[in-house]
Amino acid sequence: MVTLLQQLLIGLTNGMVFALVALGYTMVYGILELINFAHGDLFMLASFLALTLIGAFGLETAGTAGLVLGLLAIVVLSGLFAAGLNWTIDRLVYRPLRNAPKLAPLVSAIGVSFILQNLGLFWGGLPMAVFGGGNSAAAPKSFPNLVSGENLLGPGAALRITAKDLMVVISSLVVMVALYAFVRFTRLGKAMRATAQNPLAARLMGIDVDRVIGATFLVGGGLAGFAAVIYGLYINTINFQIGYQNGLYAFTAAVLGGIGNIPGAVLGGLVIGFVRASSDQFIGAQWQPAVLFGMLILILVFRPQGLLGTNVREKV
Amino acid sequence: MPDAPQSLRWLRSLRRRPELLIVVALFLYPLLPVLDWIAGGVFGLDLQIGGNLLNVMIFAILALALNLQVGYAGLLQLGIAAFFAIGAYTTGIFTVEKYPFQLGFWGALALAPVMAGLAGLVLGAPTIRLRGDYLAIVTLGFGEVVRVVILNMENITDGPRGLNPIPPPWLPDWLAGAIGGGDSRRVGFFVMYYLALLVLVALVVLFRNLERSALGRSFAALREDELVAACMGINPARIKMIAFSTGAAVAGLAGALYATKLSTTAEPNTYDFTYSIMVLCCVIIGGLGSLRGVLLGAFVLLSFDNIVSPLITKLIQRAVGFGSTNVLLQFSNWRWLIFGTALVLMMRFRPEGLWPSSRVKAELHHEES
Amino acid sequence: MVAVATLATVAGAGCKAKTGAGGPAPEPPGGGATGGPTKVKIVSSLPRTGSANAQTTTMVNGIRLALDEANFKVGDFTIEFEDWDDASAKKGDWDPEVEAANADRAANDKDILFYLGTYNSGAAKISMPVLNKAGLVMISPGNTYPGLTKPGTGEPNEPAVYRPSGRVTYYRVVPADDIQGKVGAQFAKQRGLKSVYVLYDGGLYGQGIANVFANTAEDIGLKVLSPGAEKIDPKAQEYRSLMTKIKALKPDLVYFGGTTQANAGQIAKDMVAVGLTAKLMVPDGCFENAFIEAAGAQNLNGRAFITFGGLPPSELKGKGAEFVKNYRAKFHSEPEGYAVYGYVAGKVALEALAKAGKKDRDAVREAMIGMGQTDGALGTWKFDANGDTSLTAMSVNTVKNAKFEFVALMGGAASQPANEPGKAPPK
Repeated sequence: MVTLLQQLLIGLTNGMVFALVALGYTMVYGILELINFAHGDLFMLASFLALTLIGAFGLETAGTAGLVLGLLAIVVLSGLFAAGLNWTIDRLVYRPLRNAPKLAPLVSAIGVSFILQNLGLFWGGLPMAVFGGGNSAAAPKSFPNLVSGENLLGPGAALRITAKDLMVVISSLVVMVALYAFVRFTRLGKAMRATAQNPLAARLMGIDVDRVIGATFLVGGGLAGFAAVIYGLYINTINFQIGYQNGLYAFTAAVLGGIGNIPGAVLGGLVIGFVRASSDQFIGAQWQPAVLFGMLILILVFRPQGLLGTNVREKV
Repeated sequence: MPDAPQSLRWLRSLRRRPELLIVVALFLYPLLPVLDWIAGGVFGLDLQIGGNLLNVMIFAILALALNLQVGYAGLLQLGIAAFFAIGAYTTGIFTVEKYPFQLGFWGALALAPVMAGLAGLVLGAPTIRLRGDYLAIVTLGFGEVVRVVILNMENITDGPRGLNPIPPPWLPDWLAGAIGGGDSRRVGFFVMYYLALLVLVALVVLFRNLERSALGRSFAALREDELVAACMGINPARIKMIAFSTGAAVAGLAGALYATKLSTTAEPNTYDFTYSIMVLCCVIIGGLGSLRGVLLGAFVLLSFDNIVSPLITKLIQRAVGFGSTNVLLQFSNWRWLIFGTALVLMMRFRPEGLWPSSRVKAELHHEES
Repeated sequence: MVAVATLATVAGAGCKAKTGAGGPAPEPPGGGATGGPTKVKIVSSLPRTGSANAQTTTMVNGIRLALDEANFKVGDFTIEFEDWDDASAKKGDWDPEVEAANADRAANDKDILFYLGTYNSGAAKISMPVLNKAGLVMISPGNTYPGLTKPGTGEPNEPAVYRPSGRVTYYRVVPADDIQGKVGAQFAKQRGLKSVYVLYDGGLYGQGIANVFANTAEDIGLKVLSPGAEKIDPKAQEYRSLMTKIKALKPDLVYFGGTTQANAGQIAKDMVAVGLTAKLMVPDGCFENAFIEAAGAQNLNGRAFITFGGLPPSELKGKGAEFVKNYRAKFHSEPEGYAVYGYVAGKVALEALAKAGKKDRDAVREAMIGMGQTDGALGTWKFDANGDTSLTAMSVNTVKNAKFEFVALMGGAASQPANEPGKAPPK
């Protein structure tokens, strides 16, 4: 029983992390109908920046106050970095392809994903202590355990809730609510929703569609940067290939919840977290990817609009 | 020596009939050692042109399969490696000693496309109606599922060990003797080389005719405007299904050749997402929907991996010595950067590919304007 | 290429003379003299791209040190060494196509008398039959999958399937996993650990060693809580759910058959993260500093055991200690566990060439039979009829203060480096 409860908790925290990445995916898809394959790799680069900054700030040896300040600074810097990079990529790569056939930006996104992964590989070769001196660029990098993993219920308790779990759940919730409020109530958020619904009509209503799309990339990138720091602090390992797996899971989450739908992405992330945990518990760890992707295929076949999505017509 | 206009005419006919390129490969066979020898003198590196050509041909068959799905029918397929793997493992299961139902190479070669095609039908039937990018994700997911299932069904597939040894193509003794004079490897290579060539030529001719057939025109109509095509009486689902399962079958055929050439199915992780993406890169770089483009793409991609990359690595080693752990000094570490940039630039400036078919080119530029 | 091997040789013979005279003759990388009376090539085929790079670099450095010490010369022969990559960026790891191409290339190049490799046992499965047919001697510094050489340890058709010519051409200087897996289980028992959960990474190497471990553990009375060896997905982000499931079974030990690249570090981390207090045991694929870096030293300190085929560099005596010293001096870094195997593979190749005395694959193959070293960097040992080393000594190491620390010597203590007679092996 305790084990099951623990699995639920693990599913919840993991699900929150997937959901954070999924939000960026779903926002871009909602507006451009572009599967942004590079989103996962953007997340990866942001996690490399976070680790670099941890090394540069010497956070591993800092006191509590310094640690909190340092982490806040890192969240802000990674967010800004990923937001800026995402916006730049859109400006240089996707924007010129707005009127091209749909395949073109998708293939470009795959190309960008390659480029970012390769940059991540090079980044891992930096001669810094946090990268193991850069001797083995491709090896997994340890992200220091800066948030306590001690059991808050006492060392002997059967159930385990740690400060780390709380950090993930609370900070993700705050970001998600803020994002929801932003999209729901601000002028820019309304413009985003309008553009997502019908770019042409939005343009006719006086919305600067290009600016709105740029803003979407900014926000999506910022979320990826934030997710990267949380991921690093929670999972504690990064490597230049984490973008692929996490991107895939995030995309699955986004599709599951109904792509383009923000609460849907969160729900999708949670479902994936729970499915993963129960697949490990009841089926066996080796089947995890098959279970997840099998589920994805079934959902797309039987409910392509996702759990919360409304049926989107394909634009002809 | 032919005079200038004559050689030009020869070039022009090559443009029109890319299958002629393959005839070139046919006559290349006896020259292979000579070419290797020349290349060895020039580069100081054994390029193994024959073996690489065989790799190129098998890869090109796989790329043609994907081209049928992506280039002709416009179905974005991100899991071609799954069908490739099904072909390879079918060959393995029906040829290795440990199973009682040995069919030998020729039987397996016939069965591999059937199995892969069936898998294509099973996957395609419920999903073919999905919108383009959802189909992409379904195929991607299917690719992962197939890989994991092959890895985990150890009783059948031997899991990470892979199935081996897969026997070389069987020939009657008199024929084998005539070809290789008792050297079984030589016979094996000879047969594989010409078999792959034959399959490739057959496919190119087949697809060439397909482009001009009613079915081919349906493909073009679907690509350009599905709604209009449907109104004109084309059944999009049926047409897409044909392309999808036929493409899967051809990929299975390529898998059979691949496994036989390696004499093992290799480990299941060989057939992962990156492999699928490589084939997609090949088709896109060469030219979606263009036969000559796909052939060129396979050639360019594999030459980059098997010839350019080792060559540059060798030059770097010579310049800085080896044993360096500096990530920048390993040329193959730059590969994704180069491919990624190529894909991005291609989509921006030449979406029709290096050597496009005129029809696809017209379609693309029509939409751009 | 294969089919035209004979033709290529005929053409090649003429070509080589020409390149030697006018063409850009390749410099031996160590700076030795070019040309010379007879050129002999030694190549290594190891995954140089991707995540195994740290281990293979240390092996190549070892090989290079061996060749350097001989000044790239054996008798009248000038040695040329080429460091081949059997990985492709496409895979980020060893690639069957590339390994097959390397094997073919080596088989066809008559200058090549030794093929040092591979690192991955799966890769060896591909090149072994090719090189065997070509009669080319292959010495592996890293393959430990038992089925490559030992009848009855793998599939029924192993190892005959790798020897189509019927002769033995494959040798490995590192003890195989049937010994290492067994020793791991025995050590666990000695330590009083009663129950174990066995995991592996889904690769050939991990599967081989994890199965041996699980079977031995069962035989000697340890309780195996997993259904045999359980496979994980080495690309997964984390394993907390799995570790929670394992925690409920209360094992004393978790065994992970796999490498650093297969996410061994994350396993260690997530054991700590879910409060699983069991010890962790991993095989030699994790015996590299990258493992400590990936796992985080605080997650390993005092709770991880790493088995390794042979002694760790710090425990090497005599010639071995000398090797470690020279390695440090030359490469300005600490040798990893496998460096010495690269070195010995290089040494053995040179000695076999000296013994054969002529540039001829058959002579070299003959020379390899019963080869060994007396008083070498690994002590005294020789190859048996299957091509396995007679060394069976295994060390168990732990992690202290972010460094590997030697704990115990297990298995064939008799093969302990013999250069200090009378002195008992440590502990």
